[in-house]
Amino acid sequence: MPDYPIYRDPPEQCRTPDAEERSLWGRTLERIADHCRARSLFVLHYCTGCGAIELPPSMTSRFDLERVGMQPMVTPRQADLLLITGYLSVKTLKRVILTYEQMQGPKYVMGFGSCTINGGMYWNSYATVKRLDQYLPVDMYIAGCMPRPEAIQQAFLQLMEKIDSGRAQNWKEYYRRYDHYLGEQQALFGEQFHTPTDVIGEARHYSLFGPETLGEHTAKLAKYDLYHPGQGAVDALEVKR
Amino acid sequence: MSIALQLLLMPLAAFLVGLAMVLMMRKVRASVERRIGPPWYQPLFDIYKLFAKDTQISHGVMHDVAIMMVLGGIICVVLFLPVPGMSGLSAKGDLITLLYLMMVPSLGMALGVGQTANPNGSIGIARALTAMAGYEIPFFICVAGAALHYGTTDLNQILTIQQHGGHLEHWGIVQMPLLAVAALFAVHAMLGKEPFEIYVAPAEIATGPMVEMSGKYLGTLFVMQCFQLFTVSVLYTTLFLGGGFSWFTLLLKAFAVVFISVLVTNVYPRYRTDDVLRWQWKWPTGIALLGLGMVMLQIGR
Repeated sequence: MPDYPIYRDPPEQCRTPDAEERSLWGRTLERIADHCRARSLFVLHYCTGCGAIELPPSMTSRFDLERVGMQPMVTPRQADLLLITGYLSVKTLKRVILTYEQMQGPKYVMGFGSCTINGGMYWNSYATVKRLDQYLPVDMYIAGCMPRPEAIQQAFLQLMEKIDSGRAQNWKEYYRRYDHYLGEQQALFGEQFHTPTDVIGEARHYSLFGPETLGEHTAKLAKYDLYHPGQGAVDALEVKR
Repeated sequence: MSIALQLLLMPLAAFLVGLAMVLMMRKVRASVERRIGPPWYQPLFDIYKLFAKDTQISHGVMHDVAIMMVLGGIICVVLFLPVPGMSGLSAKGDLITLLYLMMVPSLGMALGVGQTANPNGSIGIARALTAMAGYEIPFFICVAGAALHYGTTDLNQILTIQQHGGHLEHWGIVQMPLLAVAALFAVHAMLGKEPFEIYVAPAEIATGPMVEMSGKYLGTLFVMQCFQLFTVSVLYTTLFLGGGFSWFTLLLKAFAVVFISVLVTNVYPRYRTDDVLRWQWKWPTGIALLGLGMVMLQIGR
């Protein structure tokens, strides 16, 4: 056994499904929705690295991703799939986190190339991020330096299959394990790091609270007190839990 | 057919036809770019997916009300537009009512986008309303000329006059070709297609008014686009192409109007806002004024 931790898809939390989920009508609608989600991915590119070069041939007449319903979108609000195409410096990772938190769930993240997997050729750099999935829940990685358009399409098709079968639920992990992700982000950017998005509030609103949503790292957010002035954000949330 | 049933069926039919028009737009664009394009169910899947989003950002009450104003306004327009077999409310309101209601979605967008407080959105709305001033003037001149020519603003009567007797000689496009041409330019700008697409400009101001619209809001706008394509093309068909004796001929003409617009779209970049105004106030407005003069001469004779 290697002595470093192996990251897999975190296990689903056991919880009681509500009545709407249990009903045949709700399940049918959700099944159709999953199929539509898989076949209608709106893509937001975060093109910092060389991976962006491989996207135009995938999008345009050579391979034509619109055949499978994928369209480029220009704002995170409208997009479903965030493509991280290459290495991320520490500075750009902040922007990626902001972008990711502005997207609406279900949302998916795809890491392109070895840079997002283990730092790739930038492994020795002080300024780049080694592993993307420490900071954001990643649904799919594409290996290669850089991956060819064929590999990109293969990954898109696999992601679609995953979404269609309802297994692409990683975005919920960001809410359920927000303390973990925030801790990693704070380790990189400093204790003061916080985003304007009220992730804890959203987790509460959409019933996505998990055992690791709150913790020692989110406790440091209390002093910013942006959304619940006067009552201490995290304390107020914890009571309502 | 009872009026209640018509009020249900007309928006439904308009939505389905609009979906087909969106699909045609995307297919034609794909063909021009030598791609294959999306499968036939794509517009429907996009809308279903957007309405099935799990999380949702609302920027306040006005944002929510405005998006309903956008959809409600455009559905109202559809109810006033006579189609074969269904005249809806068109006997109660005329062309002027229709044009008035067609402004409601744009104003709704302006209100809602104001509350999202995104600078790109505000710029987009400012540009959209400016562009509106550009294309509404030639369009209103065309409509006024058509109303003068037919001697009525009642859409049902306009249809009857054009469909009277033979097939072609009473059509608006034969009787007043200049107005028809000018209106086609104005319709093209009304659909927000290149080169008059400055207020969307995805690469520049991130789709302008739509920049903060997520999930159900964007889905509503997609639905609105279907209705808008239907409304604009059927209105043009009603005024200048003799409407339709049946759904088949109506759809043939309406799709042709959208098709021309889409073909033009794909070969143009976009004009700046001031160029849009300059162009719209020079060419369509000039042609429309000439056409109006011809109509007045015909009437005076």
